[in-house]
Amino acid sequence: MSRADRPKRRTLAPYGFLAPFFVPFVLFTLLPVGYAFWQSLHRTARTGGTFGRTHSVFSGLDQYADVVREPYFADSVLRVGLFALVQIPVMLLFALVLALLLDSAVARLKRFFRLVYFVPYGIPGVVAALMWASLYDPRLSPITALLDSAGIRADLLGPRLMLWSIGNVVTWTYTGYNMLILYSALQALPADIEEAARVDGANGWTTALRIKVPLIRPALVLTGVFSIIGSLQLFTEPQVFRSISTSVTSTYTPNLAAYSLTAGDDYGGAAALSVLLATVTFALSFAFLRLTTRRQG
Amino acid sequence: MAMPVRMSTARRCLAGAAVLALTAVAGCGGGGGEGDGAADSSCRPAPGKVTLQYWSWVPGMDQAVRVWNAEHPDVQVKLRTTPAGNAGTYQNMSNALKAHKAPDLGQIEYDSLAGFRLKGGLKDIQRCPQVAEAQSKFVDWTWSQVDFGAHGKDGVWAIPQDTGPMALYYRKDIFDKLHLKAPTTWAEYESDARVLKKAGKYITHFSQTDPNWFTGLLWQNKATLFEREGDAWKVTVDRPESRQVADYWQKLIDDKLVATDLQGFSPALYKAWNSGEVVTWISAAWGYSTIRDNAAATKGKWAVAPMPQWKAGDQRAGNWGGSTTAVFSGSEHPAEAAEFALWLNTDPKALEILNRSGGLYPAAKAGLTLPALKKPVSFYGDQKIFDVFQQASGEVDTDFTWGPTMTDTYRFLSDGTSDVAAGKGTLGDVLKRTAADSADSLRKQSLDVTR
Repeated sequence: MSRADRPKRRTLAPYGFLAPFFVPFVLFTLLPVGYAFWQSLHRTARTGGTFGRTHSVFSGLDQYADVVREPYFADSVLRVGLFALVQIPVMLLFALVLALLLDSAVARLKRFFRLVYFVPYGIPGVVAALMWASLYDPRLSPITALLDSAGIRADLLGPRLMLWSIGNVVTWTYTGYNMLILYSALQALPADIEEAARVDGANGWTTALRIKVPLIRPALVLTGVFSIIGSLQLFTEPQVFRSISTSVTSTYTPNLAAYSLTAGDDYGGAAALSVLLATVTFALSFAFLRLTTRRQG
Repeated sequence: MAMPVRMSTARRCLAGAAVLALTAVAGCGGGGGEGDGAADSSCRPAPGKVTLQYWSWVPGMDQAVRVWNAEHPDVQVKLRTTPAGNAGTYQNMSNALKAHKAPDLGQIEYDSLAGFRLKGGLKDIQRCPQVAEAQSKFVDWTWSQVDFGAHGKDGVWAIPQDTGPMALYYRKDIFDKLHLKAPTTWAEYESDARVLKKAGKYITHFSQTDPNWFTGLLWQNKATLFEREGDAWKVTVDRPESRQVADYWQKLIDDKLVATDLQGFSPALYKAWNSGEVVTWISAAWGYSTIRDNAAATKGKWAVAPMPQWKAGDQRAGNWGGSTTAVFSGSEHPAEAAEFALWLNTDPKALEILNRSGGLYPAAKAGLTLPALKKPVSFYGDQKIFDVFQQASGEVDTDFTWGPTMTDTYRFLSDGTSDVAAGKGTLGDVLKRTAADSADSLRKQSLDVTR
C-alpha cells in the first residue's frame, strides 16, 4: 500500500457504505421518476392516417395542463386529502394505544399479541380487500345482516360510506405495522425512566402520556410520514372494490386515475399525473417533517 | 436484421419496467414508432419445428390446444390462460408489445381490435396461407370486423372466434307464477318490471362493470358509437337512437325497478340469481354457461326468448362480446400462427370443445350447425336455446364499427353509470359527457375528429 493511495481510499470509503442505499435509490426511484418526467413532456403523434406510424413529439407542459384541468383531478386529490385527514390520526392513535398497552408492565402474553396485531400487515393487500369486500357486501355479509336485524341500514359499499369502508381496511392492515414501530421505540427507552417516574408517584397512564409518548416522538413522526405517503398512493383497495361496488370510479384516487390513463394508452398523461403525485407526496412529507421536528431543532 | 434495434429497445425498457413497478406508469418505448404496418406482407411457413405462444381466457382452451399439439408435432402451441381482456390482459398485452415480448397469438375481443391495430400491435395475416380464402367460412359481420370493413384492401388482422348475439334469459317459473309472458317489447319489459317490483324482485341489474352490455343495447337500436369517415373519426355516442335507450333505462333506475348496487359477474349477483331476487338477464349467447355455472340452484327454471323490441314486430338483436384470435406484430412465425388460428376457429373438433367447455358461440358458419347447438339444453328446461341465438345472429346490425379508443369510452360510460347509481345526473348526461371525452381520447392519440 503506497502512501499516495491513502487519501483517495479515504474519500471513496463512505460512498462504498452509501452504495447499498444509493444504488437502489437511483435505479428504482430517481431513474423511474426521471423517465416518467421525460415521458410526461412528450405526446403521441401519427403520420399516415388512422392506422399509420406513431412517434412521440415534445409537448412541453401541455399534459400537465390537461391533467390538472380534468374534473377528476381535483375530486380525487380532495378525496385522498379528506381520507388522510381522518384515517391517519385514527390509525396512529390505535397503533399508539396498542403499543403502550403492550409495553405496560401488566400486559401478559406480549409476544402473542404482538404477532396477532401484526398479522393483517402480512396479508397481501388484494386478499385483504377481497376479504373485506365480502364482509361489506349486503347480500353476502353476516355483518350487514346483523346490523340489519338491529335496525341499522348501513350500505357499506354505497357512495356515502365507501371511502370510510376503504379507510377501515387500510386501518386494519397498517395499524399493527405502525404499532410495531412505536413499540420498538418504547422498548428502546431506558428502564430507569419509568422507575424514576414511579418513584415520583406517577401512575401508569401519566407515565405513558407525559413521559413515554414525548420520548418516542421521532417514531411517531416516522409513522406519520409513511402514512401520508401511503394515503396519497391509495390504489389496491379501491381497485378491488371497483369490481363489487358501483361507488368507485376509475378516477377515484389519483393513483387509480393514472392507472386508468395507461389502460387507454395515454402514457404521457399518466406520466404527468404520476410526476405531480410524486411531487405532492414529497412536498407533504417534507412539510410534515419540518412541522413536527421544529421544536426539537 | 432488425435485431440490434430490438435489443436496444429492450434495454431501454428496463427503465420502463422499473417505472411500472413503482409509479404505475406502464410501458416504455415511446421514442420510436411501433407500427409494423402492412408493408412487409410476405408470410411463408418456417422450416423445422416451431413453438407458438398463445394467450387466451376461454375455459377449456387447453383441451383444444392439446388436440392441435397431438396432430401437429412440428407446430407446438404453448397456452397461457389469462384473466379476461378488460380484467387486465389487454393491459398486459400492451405492455408486452411495448417491451417486444408479446406472444405470437392472443385472444382479442372485436371491440378492442382497432385499439390494438392503432398501436401497431397486430400483424396483417392476409397473405398467410389460406387466410384470404377463409372469409366465406365466417358469419359476414365478423369478417368485416377483422378486415375493418375494407373488404381485404387494407389487410386481415385477426381470425374471428365467437360472437355474442343477444337474447333475453328469464326465470320462466317466476314469470309463470306472476302470470307474465316473456316480454316482446321494451314497453312490456317495463310493465313486467313493475309487477316484479311489487313481488319484491328486480327484473335485472344495471351496473357500472357492464358498459359493453349497454353498448349491446345501443347496437340493437342501430346507435353506433363511432363512424369512420376516411381518415377521420366521428363520435356518435350521443345521438337520438342512444338517447332513447338511455332515457328508457334511466326511468327504470329512477323508479327503482332495476338493481343498481349489483356488479356484473359478481358473487352478489350470482346470489341474487340463485335466490330469485334478480330474474332476467339480457345477455349474449355465451351467457348461457355463466348462468349455468353460477346459479346452479335454478336448474331447469330459466328460459330464453328473443330480445325485447323497440317497435312491436321488429326483429333486431344486439351483440355483446365475441372474440378473435389475432397474431401479434412481433411474431416470427405468422404463417404457423395464422394456420393455428384458422384451425382453432373452424375445425369441428375445436369448435365442439370451445362450445362445450367455453360456452363459445362460433363465428364460423359451420359452427352454427354443430350437433351440440341443435340439442335441447337441460339447464334451460330442455329448451333448444341455440335456435334463438342462431336467429338473433342474423338480426345483428352489420354496420356497427368500434372506435380505436374503446377502453376509454367504456371507462367513461362505466364512471358515468357509477355516478348515476349514486344519484348524480342521468344516463343522458353520461352519453353527452362520454361523447365529449371520447373525442378527447381520439385527439390525444393524434387522430382526426370530425363533427
